[in-house]
Amino acid sequence: MRDSLEARLEELGSAIAFPETPRLARSVLEQLARPRVRWAGARGLRLGRGAALALAATLLLAGIAAAVGIALGGLRLVFGPPGFSPQPSLLVGPGLGHATTLADARSQVAFALRVPGLPGLGEPDLVYLAEFPAGGTVTLLYGERDGYLADRATGIGLIVTQFRADIGPEVCEKLILDGVQVTAARVDGQAAWWVAGGEHFFFYRDADGQMVDSTLRLARDTLIWEEGGVTHRVEGAPSLEAAIAVAESLE
Amino acid sequence: MEGRPLTDGELIERARRGDASAFEELVRRYEEIAYRTAYLVIGDADEARDAAQDGFLRAHRALGGFREGAELRPWLLRIVANAARNRRRGAARRTGLALRAFRDAASGDAAPSPEVLLLAEERRRELLAAISRLRPEDRLVISLRWFLELGEEEMAGVLDCPRGTVKSRLSRAMNRLRAVMREDADA
Repeated sequence: MRDSLEARLEELGSAIAFPETPRLARSVLEQLARPRVRWAGARGLRLGRGAALALAATLLLAGIAAAVGIALGGLRLVFGPPGFSPQPSLLVGPGLGHATTLADARSQVAFALRVPGLPGLGEPDLVYLAEFPAGGTVTLLYGERDGYLADRATGIGLIVTQFRADIGPEVCEKLILDGVQVTAARVDGQAAWWVAGGEHFFFYRDADGQMVDSTLRLARDTLIWEEGGVTHRVEGAPSLEAAIAVAESLE
Repeated sequence: MEGRPLTDGELIERARRGDASAFEELVRRYEEIAYRTAYLVIGDADEARDAAQDGFLRAHRALGGFREGAELRPWLLRIVANAARNRRRGAARRTGLALRAFRDAASGDAAPSPEVLLLAEERRRELLAAISRLRPEDRLVISLRWFLELGEEEMAGVLDCPRGTVKSRLSRAMNRLRAVMREDADA
């Protein structure tokens, strides 16, 4: 027997104004037909960089007093001010360096570059090499893979970054804002940090002490750890377990 | 062209074989319920659009594992709700449910008097205000049941709980709604 509250709720249901349903079919089909990696042009990256730098400066000034650090080789996690939420679309930057091949990157960096051997990932779609920090940074970009959904803005499913860990404790920083959880984890027995949810992004200081944003989109969940004198970062995996699977497959 | 619309099962079979137009038809069939489900979970129109789209993309990739003969909608809504939860950052937002325009909601009847319409509208507002004061999880379970008219299996998928606990969650939420309404009446 339906009571009067149920009857009222049923009647209310017919009077609820949901936002108009967007037409999704076309955009879904476009996504399905899209090449695996879509790379923003240099123009877009330059625009993104300026905005991101301004944002980084603002955030750092606001948050530095309350900052608590977790140090890894060459990397420091900085916890920013609560309640601030930058737009992820602004967090697009060029600090990746230039596109190259795996073989070239391997020959240029001052550490033993490793590549995930996880079945299904295959070769990275793009390899970037940056001179900074000292010893070089290599970023491997993967488009969409089974289980690694591509980011809508960048077309990138997974990012793996490596740089030398013995370059001083505060060269690279990762700014962590409200709503982010940092969880201790293990990769091959080494201490690791899983930075998940909310907004966070990396930057580094160049030779003049200026902040430079260092990856292309940094609001996705990230696993970071130090192993064999190299600081590693795996970004974009859908879960901690998936990130560890990628991390432990490095060879 | 065939004379009858294809069933979900037929469309799924075609989509699995790479027929994009078959998947497009499935998206058209379910985009509204998928979007509204995502909206109730996430409480933001733009995020809900992205979550619904992510959900369809994930569903497309997972079609190979879809059990033949099963109902598509509960499976799809579960995927969409997961996508919405993954996008939801920090604390659950308040779902901003609103009433449709007064005249619109009242149309179709044999012209009741303005006083009757006003009274009905007032009662809707009271009820919606009481719902908005519930905890997000109570609000969600009531909205799924009464505003989207989801079945138990679909609700279990969206709430990510066993089917057996849907009834008790709904019942507890309804009791809390009654309590809020009593408080309002006493105030």
